[in-house]
Amino acid sequence: MAWISKNWAMTGIIKGFIVTLKHIFHIGNRPIVTVQYPYEKMKLAPRFRGRHSVDQDACIGCGICESNCPNGTIRIVKYNGRWFPEFNLGMCLFCGLCMDACPMNAIKMDGGYELADYSRESLVYGPDRILFKKEVNK
Amino acid sequence: MIANAYELIVNILTAIGIYEPVYGFFQSFGLEYLLRIIIVVVEIVVLLVFVLLSVMFLSWLERKMFGWVQSRYGPMVTGPHGLFQPIADGIKLVGKEDIIPASADRWIFTLAPFIIFVPALLVFVPLPFGDTLILSDLRMGLIYIIAISALSPVSILLAGWASNNKYSLMGAMRAVAQDISYTIPLALAAIAVVLYVGSLSTVDIVRAQEGTWFGIIPRWFIFMQPLAFILFLIASIAEMGRIPFDFQESEQELVAGFFTEYSGMKFAMYFLGEYAHLFAVSGVVVTIFLGGWTGPVLSPIPVQITSLVYFIIKTYAVILFAMWLRDTVPRVRIDQLLNLGWKIMIPLALLNLLVTSFLLTARVI
Repeated sequence: MAWISKNWAMTGIIKGFIVTLKHIFHIGNRPIVTVQYPYEKMKLAPRFRGRHSVDQDACIGCGICESNCPNGTIRIVKYNGRWFPEFNLGMCLFCGLCMDACPMNAIKMDGGYELADYSRESLVYGPDRILFKKEVNK
Repeated sequence: MIANAYELIVNILTAIGIYEPVYGFFQSFGLEYLLRIIIVVVEIVVLLVFVLLSVMFLSWLERKMFGWVQSRYGPMVTGPHGLFQPIADGIKLVGKEDIIPASADRWIFTLAPFIIFVPALLVFVPLPFGDTLILSDLRMGLIYIIAISALSPVSILLAGWASNNKYSLMGAMRAVAQDISYTIPLALAAIAVVLYVGSLSTVDIVRAQEGTWFGIIPRWFIFMQPLAFILFLIASIAEMGRIPFDFQESEQELVAGFFTEYSGMKFAMYFLGEYAHLFAVSGVVVTIFLGGWTGPVLSPIPVQITSLVYFIIKTYAVILFAMWLRDTVPRVRIDQLLNLGWKIMIPLALLNLLVTSFLLTARVI
């Protein structure tokens, strides 16, 4: 048998047939791994970098994120009498340097990934769309 | 004795009591032939609808199975488990722009997709779907089937030439080389069976496979001619141009082969033709080697229904094997393909033919 399996070209094909058959009937640990995306979403990795959000109490409007951004995505704008970053996500490469550089840990990148839009203007996420208020544990 | 579907329809109509008055009505105008034409047209329409529904189901099944093999779901959105995906695809393809390249030969370019559908449909004429469920029991049915399937390279070459595209032409040339090399072992493997049966009629071939050995093993020719069966199966898959032998449309090299330039409804015709061909070839394999419509007779149910069910089950088994093969193996190289055809399969088919004829002459089997 060993000689046959070594010298006969059909062995590989037959083995392949068995493997695909096992996949068809999900024998062994062969589940369906894809998800039905619009109806069912994948669980994200814990440190997945999505859209930015800014803690409105922690942010001091210092502009360090602006100077650290490699693509010039961030602009500091005035909003409700205070200074906050504004993200032009059309230019953002989601490197996370703004998040790392922030001295107050105010920037989080947990805002999701479905960011496609109809115009360039709507890709600019101003403070009105990214600010969140941290809930204090009682 | 009912010989084909036409006589079956006439018998059923007579049994209900419709045939005589209708025939008399047509006879009063001297137009009996019109009734015959109507019955034949009804037969053709039933066959066409059956083939097109099968083709749609097959395209769904193929994608579904490909998905399962690759740990995917396959089509899921349209209908239950994506069952209406072929209809959605059809609507999409009809809505697409019908592009004819500026330097293409317009007439041939337009006609080729329809010509390619014809051989795949004509194969169904002498194919027995069940006891008496046959359009016409031709006396040279098997030769007719092989000759008709040898016609498909013509339409492929027409399409490749008329497109005026290097990829189309190369795909078409490969398809023709492949079809010509594999028609020979196909015919030689089938002739071994014909020698045993002594008839080219598909009905006679099926009738020769009725009964069992020792009450268990059915007298199918797959057990009597295993080598011929393997050769016939490989040659038919190669003739269809399915994945281990899909040189005519090898995506990595030739975009899409001979239908590179086609879009919209013409592309859909190629798609339909491919699956109709798959169904037809599987039916031929079942007829010659897997006992056709033979099977245990369940007496209260009409034999036409049980035999049709047996035929469809066997045909789908062959189709599923072809799909399984497509999901499993990669494409061989063109030199491997031609080596396999000319250096291995034709000598083996000739050897099989020699041994069969020797045994038959010596009256061993």
